[in-house]
Amino acid sequence: MEKKIAVYICSGCGIGDALDIDALSKVASKEYKADICKSDAFLCGKNGLELIKKDIAEEGVNTVVVAGCSSRVNTDVFNFGSDKIVERVNLREQVAWSHTGDDEDTQMLAEDYVRMSLAKLKNLNIPEPFIGENLSSTVLVIGGGFTGLTAALESARAGYKTVLVEKEAVLGGYVGKMYKQVPMKPPFTELEENSIPALIKAAEDAGVKVYTSAVIAKTAGGPGMFDVTIAQNGTDIEERVGAIVLATGAKPYEPEKLGHLGFGKYGNVITQSMFEEMVAAGKMEANKVAFIQCAGSRDQEHLPYCSAACCIESIKQALYVKEKNEEANVYVYYKDIRSNGQYEHFYKRAQQEGVIFIKGDVTDISESDGQLTIEADDHTMGTKSEADEFDLVVLANGMVPTAALGDLVEQEAEEEAAAASDEPKATVPPVVKSNLLNLEYRQGPELPALKYGFPDSHYICFPYETRRTGIYAAGVVRAPMDMLSAVEDATGAALKAIQCIESTIKGEAVHPRSGDMSFPEFNMNRCTQCKRCTEECPFGAINEDAKGNPLPNPTRCRRCGTCMGACPERIISFKNYSVPMIGNMVKAVEVPEEADEKPRILIFACENDAIPALDMAGINHIQYNPWVRIIPVRCLGSLNLVWVNDAMAKGFDGVMLLGCKHGDDYQCHFMKGSELAEIRLSKISETLNRLGLESERVRATTVNIMDYDKIPAMLDDFAAELEELGPNPMKDFQ
Amino acid sequence: MEQTNKLPEKVKYDLKFAREIYSLENGSYIKQCMQCGMCAISCATRDIMDYSPRRLFNLIKLGKKDEVMQANTFWYCTSCCTCLVRCPRGVPLVDVMHDLKKYALDNGYGDYPQAAFYKAFWAEVAGRGKSFEGGITARYFLFRGLDEVLKYMALRDVGINMLKHRRLPLLPPKKVKDLGNLKKIIRKARELSGKEAR
Ligand code: SF4
Ligand code: SF4
Ligand code: SF4
Ligand code: SF4
Repeated sequence: MEKKIAVYICSGCGIGDALDIDALSKVASKEYKADICKSDAFLCGKNGLELIKKDIAEEGVNTVVVAGCSSRVNTDVFNFGSDKIVERVNLREQVAWSHTGDDEDTQMLAEDYVRMSLAKLKNLNIPEPFIGENLSSTVLVIGGGFTGLTAALESARAGYKTVLVEKEAVLGGYVGKMYKQVPMKPPFTELEENSIPALIKAAEDAGVKVYTSAVIAKTAGGPGMFDVTIAQNGTDIEERVGAIVLATGAKPYEPEKLGHLGFGKYGNVITQSMFEEMVAAGKMEANKVAFIQCAGSRDQEHLPYCSAACCIESIKQALYVKEKNEEANVYVYYKDIRSNGQYEHFYKRAQQEGVIFIKGDVTDISESDGQLTIEADDHTMGTKSEADEFDLVVLANGMVPTAALGDLVEQEAEEEAAAASDEPKATVPPVVKSNLLNLEYRQGPELPALKYGFPDSHYICFPYETRRTGIYAAGVVRAPMDMLSAVEDATGAALKAIQCIESTIKGEAVHPRSGDMSFPEFNMNRCTQCKRCTEECPFGAINEDAKGNPLPNPTRCRRCGTCMGACPERIISFKNYSVPMIGNMVKAVEVPEEADEKPRILIFACENDAIPALDMAGINHIQYNPWVRIIPVRCLGSLNLVWVNDAMAKGFDGVMLLGCKHGDDYQCHFMKGSELAEIRLSKISETLNRLGLESERVRATTVNIMDYDKIPAMLDDFAAELEELGPNPMKDFQ
Repeated sequence: MEQTNKLPEKVKYDLKFAREIYSLENGSYIKQCMQCGMCAISCATRDIMDYSPRRLFNLIKLGKKDEVMQANTFWYCTSCCTCLVRCPRGVPLVDVMHDLKKYALDNGYGDYPQAAFYKAFWAEVAGRGKSFEGGITARYFLFRGLDEVLKYMALRDVGINMLKHRRLPLLPPKKVKDLGNLKKIIRKARELSGKEAR
C-alpha cells in the first residue's frame, strides 16, 4: 500500500499551551515530508473529525497520525475503518500533562515523539487477518461434574453446539454423590437438595451432546480448529471443536497419607467423601462426631494450599449430624474457618445449632472400644485439651487438581539442555502427564501449571485462561473453590470459550490483545532451526514440522511478540510490529551532542501495565524527567537485543525496560515476557562491557499499574546513576 | 497488653455446663461467638478481668464451670456497651453478662463485692420501688460482713461531703404508690425471661 500520510496535531486538553504547535508541524511536514499536516483545537470533536474524514475522502489519505491523547483513549473516535492506518502520538498524557509547559526540553520531547511515529510508519502495514479453514464454533467441555455440567449448560443456552465428555459411566462427578449440598442462594443458611439431577436434565434439554465412559485420546489443532479424538468403549470418535473448557475437577487428597490422624489405623476415622456416602446411604448413626479441618491442606508436608471448600463442606456435614439428632455432640477442630463470602452465614448457622468450633491442632487420636479420643492444642485458650467417646472422626482431606495427577513430563532431551547450558534460561513451567487433553503440542501434552499443579495462567487478570489459547480451565481443576465460585467459573469459562470462537472466526486475537488482527510471519529461508521461538512462545503456538522448521499455528497465537524477541536471526515480524520498525523509532530520536548536557534515556515500556501506569502519571499531572523517550512494546518478551545496540550506538546514555513483575505472586500478562527480557539482558552485559560501555547503562525494572506515583523517582534515580557514569562515549560518533 | 489470665489446665470438652448457660435468656448467643476478639480489644476493663469476654465464652464451651463462675469478668463489666455495638456476630454481650451474674448468684457464686452490691441494690429497689443509698450501703455491709466496714472508712470524707451537699439522704424515701403492682410486673418479667430463653 502506498501510504498517504496526514498528521493531525491537537492543541486541545492543554497541549497547545504547553507546546509550540507550529514547530511541531514543521517536524512532520518539513523533516518527515508528511503529505498533510494540520492542527485543530479539539480534534476529537465534531469539526476535528470532519477535518480528518474530509482529507480521507478528498485527498485519499490512508494513514492518519493523531498527535494528541494516549492511544488508550478515544480508540473508537479515531477509527476510520480497517483499511486505514491510525497511529497515535501521545502528546497529552506523556508530554503536556507530565512535563513543564513552554519549555525547551518538553518541546524536544514532543518533537521526538512525532519523529518516532513517522519513522515507525515506514515499515508498518495494515494486518491481514488469518482466517483458519473449516472453523468450528462447537464448545467442548471435558468433565461432567458440577462445573462441567454448568459450563455445558451455559454454552448450549448461549446458542453454541456443545459436546460434553465424561470419563465415568454416569454424569455428576464428586457433587453427584452428595447427600445434600451447601446453600447456593440467600439466606445461605439452608442445606439444599443435590442439584446434579436437575443440571443433567437441563443440559440434555438444552441439547448438549454427551459422551460418557469417554476420555480425550488426542487434541490437535488450535482455536476454531481443534481436532479432538474421543475414545469411548474402544472406539475413537473425531470431533472438531472451536474451544475447550477443562472441568475435570479434583480428587480428594490421599487419606492414606494421614496416618498421624488415625486414618487407616482406626475404622471410625473416615474422610469427608466417605462420610457423605455414609449419610446418603442412611448408615450414619454417630451421635458424637469430630471434624478435623485442614487434614493435609495448609500443611507443608502435604498440600501447601487451602483447599477452600472443605470448611463449608464440614459445616454442612456437621449439620447432617444435627439434623438427625439435635442433641448430638459435634466438634470441629480448625486452623481458621474459611467460610468465604456469603458462607459466613452458614458458619453462624452451624454455631447456632450448637456445633462447637475449636481452634487448635490435633496432636493425637487414640481408640478404645471403637470410641475415639482426640488430644489437641487449643489455640484460643492456650491449653491442651482432650475429648473422648467420639463415634466418628471425619477428616477434611482437601483436594488435588486432576491436572496434577501423573508424572512430570521429562525436561528437554539431554543434548539440547547441554547445548544451551551456557545460556541463562527462563524457568520452564512444569507439565504433568495427567492424561486429560493429550495435546499434540510441541511443548507438552497437557496444560502447564501455574502453581501446585493448577493450570491457571494469570490469576489476577485472566482467570480461566490457561497457557494454551482456546482451552479454559474452570472449577476445582483450576483452583480450589466452593460451589458458588464453581458456578461463576463455569459460566466465565464458557463465555471465554465463546469469545475465543468468535474472535477466531474474525481472525482476531483473544485476550489480552483482543481484536488484534496481526500475527507473526516467518521469513523461513533464513531460519537456522534453533528452536528458540518454539521453546519461548508462552502459549505453545509454534510446533515443529517434520524437518525441524517452526510451524506456526496462528489461531493459538496471542500476538505478544515473544517469538520476535527470541529469534536471533530476526526473521519473525508482524505487519504492524517488527524489529526494524522499533529500530527506526530508536534511530529517529535526535540525541543532542555531549556538550549540550542533555542526556537521553530510552524506555521500552510494556503496554499491559507500564504504559497505563505512565499514562496515569500524566492524568494525575505528576511531572517526570524530560530526558526519557518512551517506546511502547507489546510485551517485554518481544524485546530484541538489537534495539539496545541501536540505542547505544545512537548515543542514548541509558536504556530501561519497564515490565511486569514476574514470578508467582504477580505475573507478566504474557507469562514469561518480563522474565525472558531480563534473561536476554543479562546476555548483553558482556557485549556492552567489551565495547567499553558500562552494563549498568541498561536495566530492567518492574512496575505495576498502581506504581504510577513512583515513576518519577524511578526515572530520576536511574538518571542520577547515569550521571555518575558520565555520558555515553559513543555519543558524538553517530 | 498481657491479660491477667488464669489459664485453665488441660480441658476436657463437656457440653453439660455450656448447655445450661445456653438456656439462659441470652445465653444461646454465646454459641455464635466466633472468637474474633473484637470485644476483648474494645473492653475498657479487660485489663483487670480474669478473662476477656471472648475467652470467657470459650471457657463456657469448654465446660469449665468453676473457672467461669469464679471469674471476675462479668462482675467487672460496666455495661458500657462498646463491645456490644462492635461485635460482628451480634452477640448482646451486656445482656449475656447480666445473665451470667444472675446465674452466678443463683448458684452461690457471689463472692465478689459487686455481687453484694447488686443484691443490695436489687433488694432495695424491689422492696421500695426506689433506691435508697443508705439502705443499699447497709445491706451491702450486711452481705459482705462488718469487717468490710473498716476498709471503707477511708471513704468517709466522700460520704460526709455527699451529706453536706444533700446527695445522701439520711431518711429512706417513701415507697412508690401501689407497690403490689410493681411486684406483679417483676413476677411477670421473671416468667417471660424464662420463656424467652432459647
Ligand atoms: S482528547 Fe485527544 S484528540 Fe481530543 S482534544 Fe484532547 S488531546 Fe485532542
Ligand atoms: S477450606 Fe478450611 S479445611 Fe479446607 S484447607 Fe481451607 S482452611 Fe483448611
Ligand atoms: S510468542 Fe507470542 S506472538 Fe509469537 S507465536 Fe507465540 S503467542 Fe504468537
Ligand atoms: S466480638 Fe463477638 S464474636 Fe467477637 S469474640 Fe467478642 S463476642 Fe465473640
